Amino acid sequence: MRLVAAEIFALRIPFVEAFAHSAKDRAASDAVVVKVTAEDGTVGYGEGLPRPYVTGETTESMIAHLADVLWPAVVDRDLAAWSVDLPAAWLPDLPAPGVVAPHAARAALELAMLDATLRGAGRGVADVVPFVRRQVTYSGVVTASDPARAAKLARQMKLVGLGAFKVKIGVGDDVARIAAVREVVGPEAELRADANGAWATPEIAAAALAALAPYGLAACEQPLPRGPASELARLRGLTGVPIMADESLITEADADALIAAAAVDIFNVRVSKNGGLARALAIARKATAHGIAVQVGSQVGETAILSAAGRHLACAVADLRAAEGSFGTLLLAEDIASEPVRFGHKGLASAITGPGLGIRVRDELLRKYALEVVTRGARVTR
Amino acid sequence: MSDLRARVEALYAAQADELTGHPEFRALEAGTAPKAAYDTFLSNVVRAHMRSPKIVAFLYALSPPAATEDLLHNLLEELGISAGGSEAKEDGTSHPALLRGLAEGAGLADRLPELERLAEGDIRTLVSEPLMYGTLKDVGLSALVEVIAFEWMLSRTASRIATALAAHRGLAPDALAWFTHHAEVDIGHAEQGLDAIRDYAAYYAMDPEDAATIAEMSMRENVFVRRYFGELALAPGAAS
Repeated sequence: MRLVAAEIFALRIPFVEAFAHSAKDRAASDAVVVKVTAEDGTVGYGEGLPRPYVTGETTESMIAHLADVLWPAVVDRDLAAWSVDLPAAWLPDLPAPGVVAPHAARAALELAMLDATLRGAGRGVADVVPFVRRQVTYSGVVTASDPARAAKLARQMKLVGLGAFKVKIGVGDDVARIAAVREVVGPEAELRADANGAWATPEIAAAALAALAPYGLAACEQPLPRGPASELARLRGLTGVPIMADESLITEADADALIAAAAVDIFNVRVSKNGGLARALAIARKATAHGIAVQVGSQVGETAILSAAGRHLACAVADLRAAEGSFGTLLLAEDIASEPVRFGHKGLASAITGPGLGIRVRDELLRKYALEVVTRGARVTR
Repeated sequence: MSDLRARVEALYAAQADELTGHPEFRALEAGTAPKAAYDTFLSNVVRAHMRSPKIVAFLYALSPPAATEDLLHNLLEELGISAGGSEAKEDGTSHPALLRGLAEGAGLADRLPELERLAEGDIRTLVSEPLMYGTLKDVGLSALVEVIAFEWMLSRTASRIATALAAHRGLAPDALAWFTHHAEVDIGHAEQGLDAIRDYAAYYAMDPEDAATIAEMSMRENVFVRRYFGELALAPGAAS
């Protein structure tokens, strides 16, 4: 099965009014979707979300890397042999100018190739990645900075049965926000904080976390900016709050450095950020091998493609501490797959089965929400 | 629970204002929209409401005893049947039939099979999606809030819409019966509906703040714009 054509869709899907995001932060999904077509007409879909503040990618740089670097390396390659590692192995690790790691681009093409390969073989992800669970429980994410607004969002999430919540900190009055959310969700709910690298030093971070201690944080994600693993390790010695790496964990080399420094308690692994399903799995397995728990995270605005990939990852990770994402139409005005992928009451969602990534992407919706479409290779008609 | 009624009505008023202030609505009303825009709007109205008896039937099944008679009356009216004492008789035109008449009167009869398919698809999607709430009482309140929202909005805008469609799209009064019916009937329905929301929450002993939160979540995006001009609407010009 030779890949002969690719279409790259730069999407803009409006968000529904806030459920899991702060409207002032982001009003629409800027997902980039890749559709690959094989010579026999088999298609596959992948997705990445460019985040300048995480991997350094923009929509423009991501599309350029996909179209001009990655695609030429895989066009005409024979996908007859299928495995979860094969598509990733074929993607070159060429740097992109000004980018930490072109991982959203890699993830998009890797997922599309994996989807096509498995679909062509009539297999699903569970056939190549053993699942250790058949159901995933998702957390809510409260990103509003205003305490009253944060409490209102938390109340909505509690009402739909969610029992774990991530609250953004490092902006405004963190204590008031965390206190307001804790009061709404009650003492039994799990509260995690995400500082997005807000604190400059371990000492500042430790003091801020000490002020939040009365509210029982289960973890603090990325307290310091991306930097030496030793700084996170030093913070870990100053606080009792479990520390989670996110922006500090982009590459497998980052994972190795964090493990070597005993810097964190939890890895936040995300398919788009970490460069695809194979690399995300590899990082998660390293974590498990070294006693580090895993959170399967997401990018705000993921469509059904990355939601499905994240679900597969969450089903495969041994020590899964938490899962985020799969918001689907709770966040997007419209999702792009025929099957609803979002979680339901209590944040529960089942493993996704079916050929490929297990969803059917609707091309008419890709066209409906595409700001730009870039094509490579021959158009295939069946 | 009277506070709930007021809070829900405030949500309706804000969204109805957004609808009538929407650029596409204003263009339809001013007569500056192309014919294709009128046809797309009409198609979206037909799609949005064609299967409403099914939703009313669902709500009827959940209705508290005090509201059962009103909901039964609404359901029978949707089906073109009047309830007289212990006997029901067919003496009216069902709402789906009025919607078909609207499409036919606008020369869109050839679109009806597709619109009916889309309307069925919307129900299928609704039924297939994972439930966000843990009880039927919560699901029912969410559905009730959205259904009454349309009655409330139509009671205040249906005659304006009918006037615009007559003036700028040349539709005859017969074709506009669905709009004129809602304009005449739904002021009462909308008031009853707001009472029904209050009574529903009270009957099922819902926490007032939880009930209000469910209402706000149901209306967290503009349901009118979404169905008539937005994501659940046909692409502009699709009916031409």
